[in-house]
Amino acid sequence: MGRPLAIYSSRHQRIYLGLDRNYIFVRTGASIGRSLGPELWDDFFKGSRLACARLITLVENSPELVPEIRDKLIPRQKGAIRVGITGPPGVGKSTVTAALVRRAVKAGHTVGVIAVDPTSPFTGGAFLGDRVRMLSLIGDPHIFIRSQASRDGHGGLSPSTPYVADVFDAFGMDRIFIETVGVGQAELDVLTCADLIVLVLQPATGDIIQALKAGIIEAADLLLINKSDLSGTESLLESLRFLFEISARPTTIPAPPVLTAAALHNRGLDEAYKEIERLISGHVASGRIREKKRLRLEGEMKSSVLQDLWGRFAALTNAPEKMRTAAENLLENGRSPYPFIRNLCARITMEVRDERTNRKDHG
Amino acid sequence: MDKKAWEKKFRNSGLREADFSTISGRPLEPLYDWDDLADLNLKKELAYPGEYPYTRGVHPSMYRGKLWTMRQFAGMGTPQQTNQRYKFLLEKGQTGLSVAFDNPTLYGWDSDHALSIGEVGRTGVAVDTMEDMEILFDEIPLDKVSTSMTINAPASWIFAMFLANAEKRHIPFAELRGTLQNDILKEYIAQKEWIFPPEPHLRLITDLMAFCADHVPQWNTISISGYHIREAGSTAAQELAFTLADGFAYVEHALRAGLDIDDFAPRLSFFFNAHLDFFEEIAKLRAARRIWARHMKERFKAKNPRSWLCRFHVQTAGCSLTAQQPELNIVRTALEALAGVLGGCQSLHTNSMDEALALPSEKAVEIALRTQQVIAFESGAANVIDPLGGSYFVEKLTNELEEEAERYFRKIEEHGGVVPAIEKGFFQREITRAAYEYQMALSRKRKISVGVNEFVNEDERLEIPLLEIDESVEKDQVRRLGEVRKRRDNGAVRAKLEALEKAAAGTANLTPFLLDCARVYGTLGEISAALISVFGEYQEQPFF
Amino acid sequence: MAEKKIKIIIAKPGLDGHDRGAKVVARALVEAGMEVVYLGLRQTPESIVNAALEEDADVVGLSILSGAHMTHFKRVKELMDKNGLGDRLLTGGGIIPTKDQDKLKDLGVGKVFGPGDDLQSIVDYIRKWRGSQGD
Ligand code: B12
Ligand SMILES: Nc1nc2c(ncn2[C@@H]2O[C@H](COP(=O)(O)OP(=O)(O)OP(=O)(O)O)[C@@H](O)[C@H]2O)c(=O)[nH]1
Ligand SMILES: [Mg+2]
Repeated sequence: MGRPLAIYSSRHQRIYLGLDRNYIFVRTGASIGRSLGPELWDDFFKGSRLACARLITLVENSPELVPEIRDKLIPRQKGAIRVGITGPPGVGKSTVTAALVRRAVKAGHTVGVIAVDPTSPFTGGAFLGDRVRMLSLIGDPHIFIRSQASRDGHGGLSPSTPYVADVFDAFGMDRIFIETVGVGQAELDVLTCADLIVLVLQPATGDIIQALKAGIIEAADLLLINKSDLSGTESLLESLRFLFEISARPTTIPAPPVLTAAALHNRGLDEAYKEIERLISGHVASGRIREKKRLRLEGEMKSSVLQDLWGRFAALTNAPEKMRTAAENLLENGRSPYPFIRNLCARITMEVRDERTNRKDHG
Repeated sequence: MDKKAWEKKFRNSGLREADFSTISGRPLEPLYDWDDLADLNLKKELAYPGEYPYTRGVHPSMYRGKLWTMRQFAGMGTPQQTNQRYKFLLEKGQTGLSVAFDNPTLYGWDSDHALSIGEVGRTGVAVDTMEDMEILFDEIPLDKVSTSMTINAPASWIFAMFLANAEKRHIPFAELRGTLQNDILKEYIAQKEWIFPPEPHLRLITDLMAFCADHVPQWNTISISGYHIREAGSTAAQELAFTLADGFAYVEHALRAGLDIDDFAPRLSFFFNAHLDFFEEIAKLRAARRIWARHMKERFKAKNPRSWLCRFHVQTAGCSLTAQQPELNIVRTALEALAGVLGGCQSLHTNSMDEALALPSEKAVEIALRTQQVIAFESGAANVIDPLGGSYFVEKLTNELEEEAERYFRKIEEHGGVVPAIEKGFFQREITRAAYEYQMALSRKRKISVGVNEFVNEDERLEIPLLEIDESVEKDQVRRLGEVRKRRDNGAVRAKLEALEKAAAGTANLTPFLLDCARVYGTLGEISAALISVFGEYQEQPFF
Repeated sequence: MAEKKIKIIIAKPGLDGHDRGAKVVARALVEAGMEVVYLGLRQTPESIVNAALEEDADVVGLSILSGAHMTHFKRVKELMDKNGLGDRLLTGGGIIPTKDQDKLKDLGVGKVFGPGDDLQSIVDYIRKWRGSQGD
C-alpha cells in the first residue's frame, strides 16, 4: 500500500474497509470520517466524479488531511482561473453564476462551482439554497456543483473553500466559480482566494455604497448591477460613477468596469461573460493573476508557519493560560501589556533550544 | 358587578395552563362584550342578508331559499372509474359534481409523457383528450347538474374539451352551469401547478372571462382560492388576505385588457377553507364578503350589485385530518362543515375520514356526504340566517380579520402588487413560516392534535377500508390515448395546433382556438407544447 | 475529531406539488444543525442522485404525497446503488401505505415517515443512523 494512512492514530479504535472499495471507514468516537485510500486517488485521477466529491468532503471535514491531499493535488493542477462572485444577500449571485457557467461551458470550458451558504451561528445548521437556483445546469458532465456551508469561515467562504478549488483544478476543471455567502459591509474585501472578483449589486442597495468606499473598489475587478429590470438602476450607476471619481485609487489601476444585467430575464449576461473572459486574458497577460497566485502562496506559507510556531510555542509555554491570567491582572491594575509580552517572547529562543536538547537526549 | 370586578374574580379562579390562542396563533380574550363593539356601527357593518356589504350573506333568503350545493371533489383512475363514482354520489343525494384530475393532467401533460410514469390516475382522473370527457360525463345531464373542475394551468384547454363534448351532445353552452378553478396566482403561491410565467396565464384567464361572458353566461370562469393557501400552512388572516388580493389582481388585469367590470365580475367566485378553529373560521368567511363588496364597489366602482358579491365554495381542512384514529376525522369534518354553513357558503365539500391515507373510499365519501345532510336536515343550522351575527366575539373577530387583511393588502402594494410579491417570495415565505410554527407547536404540544400528540392509541390498527389505484390504470389510459392518436384526423390536429400557436404569438382571444384543437381530439399535452413554444415555461424559486 | 455535520438532500420527485411537509422537515433539520440542500419540486431521480453524488450527501430524503412513491423510491435507490451511493441513507415521507412501506424496506430504503410524525423523531432517526455508521 505504500504510504501509511494519515488519519490512523492511536485515538482511533478501529479501521476496516467499508462496503465500497473507494474508501475506508475510520471510527473516531461517535463520528465517521471517510479516509484516503489509494484507490480513491486512482479513481480521482481517472475522472470519477464520486471520488472527486469524496475528496472534497475530506478536505471539508478533515483539515488535518489537507497538507497531504494538496501534496498530491498541486502537481496535477493546471492553474484553473478562479472567479469569485460576491455581493450582498439576495442580489442574484446564484442566478448570475448559473448564467455565467452556462456560457463558460458553451465556450468549451469545464467548470467547477463552489456555492457557499451561511451556517447558522445558533444551530450550526445550514440551508444550502444556491444549488436550487442552478438546477438548469444539473446533469451536464462539464459542470460540477458543490454546495458548502460557511461553517466557521470568514469573508463569506468556508475555511476549506480554497482547497475545494484545488480539488476541482486537479480534477481538470479550468474555470472555477466561487459564490460567496451574501456578504455584509465588513466582509466585502476578503476574497483573496479568487483570481478575479465580480461584485454583484442590485438597484436600491443604498447603504452598500458606504461599504464600497472601504475597499472593495480596490478588490473588485468587475461590478455587475443585476436586476436592472427593477427601478433604481440609473441612480446606482450614478453613485458608482461619483464614487470612482472621488476614490483614492492609484491612477495606474483603472476603475473596474460596471455592467448591468437581469439574470432572471437572461439579459446582459453575454456581455458580462465576455467582459470576464477579456479581463482574464488581460490579467493573465499582464501577470496580475500570477502575482495574485504568488501572493496567495506567500500568505499561505506565512500563516502556516505562524500557526505551526504558535502551536508549538503555546504547547511548550502554556501561553494561552498565562495570557488569560496576565490579562486579568492587567485589567485589574490598569497596566500596559508590553512588559508581559516582552517577557513571554524572550522565552521563545530558550524553549526552542530546550526542545532541541531534549530531542537529542531521546534520539 | 362591573367589568373590573369580574376580571378580578376571573383571574383569581385558578386558570388552566394552556394555549388559548386560535389555531392561527391569534391571541384571544377570555370574554367579549358590548365594549368590544362600541366603535362599530353594526347596522352599517352588517346590514341585511343580500344587502351591501353582505356580511350576513349574499342572498336575502340564504338557506331558507336554497340549501348550499353538496359537492364532493372526486376523481381517480380512469374516466370510467370516476364516472361510476359520480353516479354513485348523485344517487346518494349529492347535488353538484366536482372533478379531481391527476397530476399529469394538472400540469398539462399527457398520460404517455415520459415524466408521467407512475403518476397516471393516482391523485385524480386522467384526461388526455375530448374522448376522456365523453366517458367521464357519460349519462350525466350536464344541463341539469352543475360541474366544478379543479384545474388551473391548463384550465382553458380542459374547459375547451368540456365544451366540445357538450357541443357533441347538443347541449347549448348557455345551459351549462359550473365553475372552473382557473386561479393561477394561488398556484405560484401554494399549489405549485403552473406551466408558463404569470403573464401568459393571466392573458388566458382574461380571454376565458371574455369568451364566457358572451357564450357561456352561467359559468363561473374562476374560483379564486384560499383553500390551497391555507392548506399550504397559512393562518386564517393570510388565507383571507392573499385570496382577496389575488381577486383584486384578476380584476385589475381584466380591466387593463379593456373588459367592463360589470361584464365579468359577477362570474368571479371564491373558494375558502373551513379549518378547526370554529369561530375564527366563521368570522373569516363573513369578513371575506364584506371586504370584497367594499373594494368592488368603492375601489373598482362596479355598479352591478352582483359584481359586489363574494360567493364561495368551502372545503373542510384536509390538513386537520389525521392518519391516526381516522374515524375521529368524521367529527372534525362535521365541526368544520358547520363553520362553513354558519359562515354562509354557497357550496360545500366535506373531506372523508381516510383523507390522510388515500383517495376516499366509497364508504368514507358516503359518510362525508351524509355529514352535510345531517347538518342541513337535522341540526337546525340552516333555519336561521347568519345565526352568529351580533355575537360579541364573532363580530369582534370579523372586524379584526378585516383589519389584518387590509394591513396585508398594504404590504402587497409595497411589493408592487401580487405578481411582484410572488416573484419576491413574499407570500411563500409568510406561509412557510406559519406552517413551520404550527408544526413546532404540535411538536412542543402547545397545540394538541387528538390521537397524534396526545391521547394516542398505542398499537393502533387501521380498521377502515382504503381505496387502491390499480397499476393497470396507467397502462389502460396510455393504450387508449395511443388509439385516439391513430384514429383521429392528424392533419386537422396539426393545422389547429399551428393556428393556435400563431394566435398565441398575437393578441387574439385564444379560447376559440383552443376549442378548435379540442374538437379534433388534440391532446392536452400537444396543446400545452404549442403554447409553451410561444410563452415559455415557469421555473420555481423556492422560498423559506 | 469534531462531530461531522450531516449533509442531506431533500427533494420532491415527479409531479407532486405538496411541499409543505418537505419544507417543514428541511427547516427542522437545519435547526437541528444539519446541512440541507433543498432541491424542491419536479425533480427527476437522475437530478436527485446527481446532486447527492456531487454533494457527497450522507442522506437523501424524498417527500412523496402523490402515490407515485413506489416508482420514484425504486428508481432513486437503483441510481444511488449504481453511482456508488449504496451506503447512504435513503429516507423520506408522505402518504405511503403501510404495505408499501414494507416493500420499500425490502428495496433497501430506510424508514419512511407519514402524517403526524413528530419532527423530532425524524431528526432523531437521522442522527441515530449516522451514529450507527461508525460501528
Ligand atoms: C395540504 C394538502 C394539499 C395542499 C398542498 C399545499 C402545499 N404546498 O404543500 C393542496 C391543497 C394544494 C393540495 C392539493 C392537492 N392534493 Co393534497 N393534500 C394535502 C393534505 C391535506 C395535507 C398534506 C400536508 O401538507 N400535511 C402537513 C405536512 C407537515 O405533513 P406531511 O407532508 O405528511 O409531512 C410529514 C410526513 O409525511 C413526513 N415527511 C414528509 N416529507 C418528508 C420528507 C422527508 C425527507 C422526511 C424525512 C419526512 C417527510 O414528515 C412530515 C412531518 O410530520 C393531504 C392529506 C393529509 N392530511 O395528509 C392531501 C393529499 C396528500 N392530497 C391529495 C391530492 C389528491 C391532491 C391533489 C392531487 C388534488 C387534485 N386532484 O387536485 C392536489 C395536487 C397538488 C399538487 N400540486 O401536487 C391526496 C393524495 C392521494 C394519494 N397520494 O393517494 C391526499 C392524501 C388527500 C386525499 N386523501 O385525497 N393538497
Ligand atoms: N427581478 C429580478 N430578480 C432576480 C434577478 N436575478 C435574480 N433574481 C431573483 O432574486 C432572488 C435571489 O436570487 P439568488 O440568485 O438566489 O440571489 P443570491 O445573491 O445568490 O442570494 P443568496 O445566495 O441567498 O445571498 C431570486 O428570487 C431570483 O429569482 C433579476 O435579474 N431580476
Ligand atoms: Mg445564492
